[in-house]
Amino acid sequence: MQSKLKKVFSSKEGVLFVIFVLIFILMSILSPHKFLSNYNIQSLAYQLPEFGILSLSMMLIIMTGGINLSLTFTATLSMIVGGLAMSSSFESTGMAFLSVLIGVVIMLLVSAVLGMFNGLVVSYIGVTPMLATLGASTLFEGISLNITKGGAISGFPFMFLNIGNSAILGIPVPMIIFIVVLVYMWILLEKSRMGAAIVMIGCNPKVAEYSGIRVKKILFQTYIISGILAGIAGIIMASRYNSAKESYGSSYLLQSVAASVLGGTNISGGEGKVLGTLLAAMILQIISSGLNIFGLNRYLTNVLMGFILILVLAINFITDYLKKNK
Amino acid sequence: MATPLIEIDHISKFFPGVKALQDVSFSIETGEIHALIGENGAGKSTLIKILSGIYQPEPGGIIRMEGEQLSHLDPLTSLHHGIVVIYQDFSLFPNLSVLENITLGRFVKRGRKLVDYKEMRKVASKSLEQLGVEIDLDTSLGDLSVARQQLVAIARALANNAKLLILDEPTSSLSSSEVDKLFEIMRSLKSRGISLLFISHKLDELFAISDRFSILRDGRYIGTYGENELDDDQLIALMVGRQINYTIYPKRYLDDPLLEVQHLTKKGNYKDINFTLHKGEILGITGLVGAGRTEVVKSIFGLNSSDEGSILFEGKEITIKNPTDAMTSGIAFIPENRLSEGLVLRKSMRENLALTILESLSNSFGLIDQSEREKIVKEWVARLEIRPDNPDLLAAKLSGGNQQRVVIAKWLATEPKILIVDEPTNGIDVGAKAEIHKLLRSLAETGLGVIVVSSELPEILSICDRVVVMRRGRVTADLHCEGLNQEDIMSKAI
Amino acid sequence: MFKKLRKVKELPLIIVLVVISIFIAIVNPSFLTVENFLDLLKSNLVLAMMALGMLLILLTGGIDVSAASVITAVNVILGQTLMHVTQNILFAIVVACAAGIIMGLINGLLISMLKIPPIVATLGTMSMILGIVLYTTNGNWITGIPQNFIDFGRIVILPRTLADGRVIGIPIQVVFLIPIIVLTWFVLRHTVIGRGIYAMGGNIESAERMGFKTKRIIIFVYSLEGFIIGLSAVAHTSIMRQVDPNAFLGFEMQVIAAVVLGGASTLGGYGSVLGTLIGVSIFSVINNGMILMRIPTFWQKIAVGLIIISSISVDMIQKQKEEKMKVCVDVEGEELYAV
Repeated sequence: MQSKLKKVFSSKEGVLFVIFVLIFILMSILSPHKFLSNYNIQSLAYQLPEFGILSLSMMLIIMTGGINLSLTFTATLSMIVGGLAMSSSFESTGMAFLSVLIGVVIMLLVSAVLGMFNGLVVSYIGVTPMLATLGASTLFEGISLNITKGGAISGFPFMFLNIGNSAILGIPVPMIIFIVVLVYMWILLEKSRMGAAIVMIGCNPKVAEYSGIRVKKILFQTYIISGILAGIAGIIMASRYNSAKESYGSSYLLQSVAASVLGGTNISGGEGKVLGTLLAAMILQIISSGLNIFGLNRYLTNVLMGFILILVLAINFITDYLKKNK
Repeated sequence: MATPLIEIDHISKFFPGVKALQDVSFSIETGEIHALIGENGAGKSTLIKILSGIYQPEPGGIIRMEGEQLSHLDPLTSLHHGIVVIYQDFSLFPNLSVLENITLGRFVKRGRKLVDYKEMRKVASKSLEQLGVEIDLDTSLGDLSVARQQLVAIARALANNAKLLILDEPTSSLSSSEVDKLFEIMRSLKSRGISLLFISHKLDELFAISDRFSILRDGRYIGTYGENELDDDQLIALMVGRQINYTIYPKRYLDDPLLEVQHLTKKGNYKDINFTLHKGEILGITGLVGAGRTEVVKSIFGLNSSDEGSILFEGKEITIKNPTDAMTSGIAFIPENRLSEGLVLRKSMRENLALTILESLSNSFGLIDQSEREKIVKEWVARLEIRPDNPDLLAAKLSGGNQQRVVIAKWLATEPKILIVDEPTNGIDVGAKAEIHKLLRSLAETGLGVIVVSSELPEILSICDRVVVMRRGRVTADLHCEGLNQEDIMSKAI
Repeated sequence: MFKKLRKVKELPLIIVLVVISIFIAIVNPSFLTVENFLDLLKSNLVLAMMALGMLLILLTGGIDVSAASVITAVNVILGQTLMHVTQNILFAIVVACAAGIIMGLINGLLISMLKIPPIVATLGTMSMILGIVLYTTNGNWITGIPQNFIDFGRIVILPRTLADGRVIGIPIQVVFLIPIIVLTWFVLRHTVIGRGIYAMGGNIESAERMGFKTKRIIIFVYSLEGFIIGLSAVAHTSIMRQVDPNAFLGFEMQVIAAVVLGGASTLGGYGSVLGTLIGVSIFSVINNGMILMRIPTFWQKIAVGLIIISSISVDMIQKQKEEKMKVCVDVEGEELYAV
């Protein structure tokens, strides 16, 4: 029993969990009234899902040995196109439910198509993921700006706002969506054939190909999944902000890489855990919201995020180095 | 007797849990071709790394050059003393010109800050001239054939004023005419007073070129012998510590066709290839490296689609566009390079073993049946006697022979009807080789059709029932192995 | 002569540039005026300088996504120095370069000593640097740059008065661009460390075996890039005459895109100064052409994205074709290929 406990706490996820608890306690002690307030806990629960889902999406691509720099623009372009469809159909028909349905379906479809585009360029044409998604991010941003002309899309039916702002049995809807995504991702990576293939492709695509894995097809599908996850995050964001704009969530791009890496995903591919990324996302989330409560300038929060990312990698390097020299 | 060029004096090297080298002492004379021989893991590469300054020997070990002790070698000082290693990958730069590949090191070595293209040109042409080869200095190295890249690597060593040239398996990817050319160059270097330390697994080559042999076994120094002091059998006996002979398995005549290859052609690869593999048969495909053997079998497995011709499986024509198609027809392929193509080294034995059967292990939702996987993995680990038998172990931690077993196991798990093995015992210890041979043979007994691609004629003669010989992209002979000898095959291959 | 020209790897790029230019010139003849050319030069000079810095990084197999935030930070430092410390232009330039070098050095140290992958390390520093800049400026513009610096930025070389009384000429900022071109060319072509940059991009292990100190090369390269960014900041501020902390948002993507368009590989080892300059030119000509053709600015991003993806895609497809056609075996009865 004791050794089992020890094993749990010496695993990467265990360490992350301890860090999370420590920071949580620290924040609570420093600001028991604000940090532990019902309001703050609620807002944490509403904020975490969009970031968490984007982080999982990023982790998935990093596991294949790539990176998705177009992640946040995938989310915003799909919310803009879907949002436009939603608000215009609402305006012309006045039917809220139908418009919301149309909007959400289009958001998901667009995100799938954008993921498909990345997948096509990366897997079938063979462009390195960094460049392909770099180009895609500029492209998606450009298309978004062309649609919004720099403004925001709004005029959504009130019903749409429920997705991001209401709760069922006291559990925020975004959180429910997030839990579904978490379970899906866990099954995908830990239990499914595709997950096993993704891991091996991330380690050594040639061996995978020589073992009869359809590497291109799997990569292609992975980018589609990544795109759809971004789309889901986009839906939550659009609903929470009651509008759609190309710059929403742009700070999540770096943070999602940070959460993946912090969560133990190997930046060169082949390793990654849903639980690790979840815990890392939670850590980053409470840090930023905690600092916000203490009145720290939001720009300084960015500084801290960058610092944490580098610090974690530096610690990884030093512990590896010490282990090797032992 | 003159002072030897290099004296290796009581050199040891220990790694955690492994004594890689124990008290090795021998010397290399000026202007000799000295062969370093040993099985995999005998300590050859550790010794090279000590000579080239990558590893430091344990205290007490001394390396002397021309009588003077070299204290604390690092890669740079080693180069400085004229000890140059040509690794199997040559350590060249595909994106730089031949000119720079040959001469850049000189500038680094001398701590120069600026490059002088005129001087470079002079040095490079001089060293190519010394080798007696002509290569355009401005060509990008990546555009050259492997053999010519190797020449560039040697030219670079000359430009670095090499006194001792260490060649690590230099013939492994050369055709026989290229090997001859290389040997000619090695002899001419020797006549210039350059010493060569030559590492190879191919005994005929070792005997053809070496003046003396030093043998390592399990990290220990066994002895140094002159070229006439040993024959093949004695040498092998010293290497492995026991006399080994390949078992010659009884040859069989089988006539139930499993796979028929007809008029298979691919431009720049092979032309008009015809052969038949029968049920329960081991068919050898041999020929010199570069004869197109691997290209043919890769086409059969869907990794290198052919231009023309047809492949028949149990009498019916099949189309193979990718490995999945091949696997559907029950074809399995074990590539030559285990480490880069066969195994994911940083994943467990379990994950490697299950990689080929993900499809059959999973249900219609794509979810893997974990207990079924565990069962199959355990079963194959036991059947192929993979040691250690812990499926959690990373593939990287296994010995070469056991890694090969994992690769074979992962393909047998697909329940193939045809098993294609490219160089099944490449880089495997002599002892483990016989085990792999026995395994392949017993697989054939169960009715599997096996294709063995190999350059090692004794291996072909030991296990194959029939052999197809290729030369320059064509089949030159299709022979039954009963009563066949190496010369019969060689005459068709050259 | 013709043969020699064929050997120039940048030839296809040059052709693309010429074709695009001809197309734009036909649609709008004002493209071909000296005035437009000078405008083009002035507005893309900073991009060109930054691209040369990024080229150095890409050659080693690295990437620097913090470049845009570094130039923003240097701009702010430069502005503050000029306004509050000294009006001495030379001193300000030294400060800017030093600031750039320090930030580059930090990137270089993180990547070489702590072995943090370049994309992650520079993402981290990007976030930190930009955060600090936005915190200190609160996102507000810095105006009130001293007049002497503004006057300096307005100097034109070889001035000529137009019929309508305006004076045009080569902008003074080329005194930053040209030395940088010469410097990067000289470093890459004629210094041992420069060849080491290519060598490590081609095969890092071999480079180390050959005796190159790759850690030092990485530190050198990121510092040199920092220096170049420092000078770019001087050029930029002297053109804009004020500092906008948000001016370079997403600019790193454009810089990388231009370098890649110029034939550099993100995997390292391939790319040249000439190619990069042509890449920048293609980029700026397209942007300029869109303005001349009155295409809304939003389209420019789309064009940039499409150019990046399509140019690399074409390259990859070409390579795959070559790979397929590659002769592995000298087959008897087939015509011989020279190797």
